[in-house]
Amino acid sequence: MSTPAAELRASLAPEESAMESEQRLAGAMRGFAREVGALSALRLESCIHCGICAEACHFYVATEDPKYTPILKVEPFKQVFKREASAFAPIYRWLGLKRDISVAELEEWQHLLYESCNMCGRCSLICPMGIDVAALIEQARRGMFEAGLAPKELYEKAARQQRTGQPEETAEPYREKLLAIGRQFGVSIPLDAPQADVMLTVSRTDIEQYPKAVASLARVMAHLEVPCTFRSDGLIAENYGYYAGARDWQRDISRRLIDQAIACQAKVLIVPECGHAYSVLRWQAAELYGAPLPFEVRHITEYIAEALDGGRLKLRPADAGATAFHDPCMLVRKSGVMEAPRKIMRALGIVPNEMTHHVGFDYCCGGGGGVVDIERAAKLRYRAMENKLREIDDTMARTFLTSCSDCRRTFDDAKRHFDWEKTPQSLLELVADHLQEQAR
Amino acid sequence: MDLVNFARGPALKAAFIFFFLGVAWRLINVLLLMHRRDLSEPRRSMASSLLGGLKAIGSRSWPHPEFIPRTGAGEALGYSYHIGLFLVILFFAPHVAFFGSFVGLHWPTLPNSVTTIISVITFTLLLAVLFRRVTHRVLRRLSNFDDYFSWFVVTLVIVTGLMATAHVGGPYPTVLGLHILSFDLLLVWFPLGKLMHAFYLFPTRAIDGYLLTRRGAPS
Amino acid sequence: MSRSDPQPTIGELLDRNGVSRRAFVKYCTAMASVLALPPLAGRAMAEQLRAARRPSVIYLSFQECTGCLESLTRSFAPTIESLLFNVISLDYDDTLMAAAGQQAEEARAQAMKANYGKYLLVVDGSVPTGEGGVYDCAAGRSALDILTDCARGAAAIVCVGTCSSFGGIPFANPNPTGARAVSDIIRDKPIVNVSGCPPIAEVITGTLLQYVTLGRVPELDAHLRPTVFFGNSIHDRCYRRPFYDRGQFAKSFDDEGARSGWCLYELGCKGPTTYNACATVKWNGGVSFPIESGHPCLGCAEPDFWDGGSFYSPIPTPRWGKAGEVRPAQAAELAVGAAVAGAVIGAGSVLLAGRRTRHLQGPEQDSHEKKEE
Repeated sequence: MSTPAAELRASLAPEESAMESEQRLAGAMRGFAREVGALSALRLESCIHCGICAEACHFYVATEDPKYTPILKVEPFKQVFKREASAFAPIYRWLGLKRDISVAELEEWQHLLYESCNMCGRCSLICPMGIDVAALIEQARRGMFEAGLAPKELYEKAARQQRTGQPEETAEPYREKLLAIGRQFGVSIPLDAPQADVMLTVSRTDIEQYPKAVASLARVMAHLEVPCTFRSDGLIAENYGYYAGARDWQRDISRRLIDQAIACQAKVLIVPECGHAYSVLRWQAAELYGAPLPFEVRHITEYIAEALDGGRLKLRPADAGATAFHDPCMLVRKSGVMEAPRKIMRALGIVPNEMTHHVGFDYCCGGGGGVVDIERAAKLRYRAMENKLREIDDTMARTFLTSCSDCRRTFDDAKRHFDWEKTPQSLLELVADHLQEQAR
Repeated sequence: MDLVNFARGPALKAAFIFFFLGVAWRLINVLLLMHRRDLSEPRRSMASSLLGGLKAIGSRSWPHPEFIPRTGAGEALGYSYHIGLFLVILFFAPHVAFFGSFVGLHWPTLPNSVTTIISVITFTLLLAVLFRRVTHRVLRRLSNFDDYFSWFVVTLVIVTGLMATAHVGGPYPTVLGLHILSFDLLLVWFPLGKLMHAFYLFPTRAIDGYLLTRRGAPS
Repeated sequence: MSRSDPQPTIGELLDRNGVSRRAFVKYCTAMASVLALPPLAGRAMAEQLRAARRPSVIYLSFQECTGCLESLTRSFAPTIESLLFNVISLDYDDTLMAAAGQQAEEARAQAMKANYGKYLLVVDGSVPTGEGGVYDCAAGRSALDILTDCARGAAAIVCVGTCSSFGGIPFANPNPTGARAVSDIIRDKPIVNVSGCPPIAEVITGTLLQYVTLGRVPELDAHLRPTVFFGNSIHDRCYRRPFYDRGQFAKSFDDEGARSGWCLYELGCKGPTTYNACATVKWNGGVSFPIESGHPCLGCAEPDFWDGGSFYSPIPTPRWGKAGEVRPAQAAELAVGAAVAGAVIGAGSVLLAGRRTRHLQGPEQDSHEKKEE
């Protein structure tokens, strides 16, 4: 029978386990203090404790456990802000009106911040005060990381990715795997061209689990006859630094891609089917880099939709039948990629049965934000997913599409666990399978 | 000096000053903290994003249709007592005389019978809201001193007001003095607690709307 | 007739003056109804009074305008007021009595001596205490001195008018004479305040009659005023109350609302916070009272009614101390000033917050590099 303390130690990476309580506390304070700014201050001050955010969170809705209330997940961050940087902070400290956070509290919050939150942004949409709760969660994770409390699955991947460019050590480097996929599917893989209009990146999940999606990316780009290239030193689109809350590692990981794009003078950097890879590069990379990016960041669905609009691409109709499309949270709520996948589906002759009245309000798959990588989180994740699976089933669709490999992985895992009848399919693969040869 | 003259004299003056001082202090403290420049490539133009921000100030007042089944009742409860409060505060004849003297304006009033009914309903709603806060599992977990004390301060004003109008609880000038004094307390507490949300909601909703519109995301 | 002779009863005096029993009972019944006593009490009052001897009354006038005395003697039915003079023995009143100078003072001294401990002291006007009390002197003695002296042998003191009850107009800012109410000076005697500027005639006479009949001080409110006359506010008995409730207010003195007889709340009526009998007993024998004549109540029966703010600003108007009630320009100035001060303090707290967060972040470094060394 393991104790909570032992369980916690088991969830951490060795470097993190080794930290003393004092170091943890100092780390958390450091991490939180770094995140304090006008925006986070305004958001933390605006909370009126109405509890409405809980009603949008699939973790709360599934379990009815109030500890999963979104704004409560950032409570340590809120406490530190109020005590150290708010208008009356010196008075609070002097009169002891706001207590210091404790290590026990931080340890308790690890589960809440990493395992019960996908940073999906649904709570941000419901908040009547307009607080971006999901953004606060990102910031709170940064404090937790400094406190050495990031789950080991995320910590170790982030550390390795920052050092080597690969989140995991593999027998064969991804570069080689990429070329092997090209050979397997009979598609050319442009690699390390000195100059290209478009730089391509690849999803680690795709390389490991869905190689066809990788091939589809190459096939579509080849079909479009766009000068493009993969770069060995900037291959992987995912950013585990973001998941772990490791701000500096997130920056370094993004930096690798930015440097490679600059090196090949790319005008566009394409993010394949992945959600957070896009939102991190599109909205956060420039700030961490310190300057506007000298290229455009586009999700592959956006790029394809633009090609469709410009008449450069034509697609054959797909026999999909009743179809449901799951919008990856990071693409739709965080990034506004709403029309692109639908344009693509229309070009394929598909009219999806929408899950909600308005695009962008459906539930998260439950795997985002790194949750699907954390072993300990599986049980809770499955509970939270029940609503999502029901939401999809309610559309009465036969075909189920998405455009994020981690969502796909999460649904495949759910299929196994729940013996669910549907299989998630990649929109990109569908496109690649239905390319129409252009008349020359 | 008797209670009424104290409440509407030096006490009110001090509370008035503290209110403006405190509100400015609290707002400036947030607004002058470090701003991060957004260097990312926007999806929408600046003009469109700004417009989206302004729109959000109003649109966030009511939940999106997807959320209404789970939140409609709670939100309706919250809004209805706010509406009741505003109606009584702004249209009861003595209040018009009071606030009007500060701004040198005068506006139409509602008959006493109407404002009394609204006040009673509002008070009942405030009790309901408190009941909800102590019984709802999420609210119970979330709530702190600020939540309960802010409720108390607002309810005290409305209760003393009703007592004064109904002539219960003592001689009218005394109860009136208590009512004005409780308003002074409200003014003092305002910048110290969550009542500040009355000011915060504008920049927070606007900024959120702006950032989301900038990304082309739903707001 | 010398003051030391045994006094005739009131009944004997009435008979001597040709006032029939019936007329006196009628008068007492009328008074009983004004005093809100049951109808039969009038008869009992008449019997009691007839058997009583007239109490001695010393009437002192200090810093006053004589309005209270004028009110008392003003009447449309002289019989009632002169009846009163038969019920009491007004042994000293420097305005009304025929004697003057040393003779008058001696008459007072004799009456006090003969009725020591039993006479009723009636005072109108405030008592100046500044500069040793020089601002009101009679016969070489200050009012303060005279009051203290006369109070010693009084059974009770009735303060007629707001000046003696609460200080009244001389007491108003800046109070150059150091005027004080009688109750601020005399602490060891029962005091009845019959306030008003002036009080209604029947309220004065009713209170005196009540004292003579009961032989003691009647039921008083917190301001020592008889509750039978001062127990209700003007607002609670005002005939224009329905207009207040319906929200129909006169906005200016000759507008449509004013001519229709609407509520005068917005014109500054102090009815809700003023306790007096004006709305029921009314003035000049029940003819009218200020509100009925179209003027808002001044609140003249209340303490500090003069300094309490403009007569023409409604009750809720904030009073900001010596400056009087708030004016928009003044309020705006104060608000802006306070906001600027708040902003400055806010800027200061931001600097503190910045310093604090920088301190918590420690020296600039990549967070995990140190661990990997």
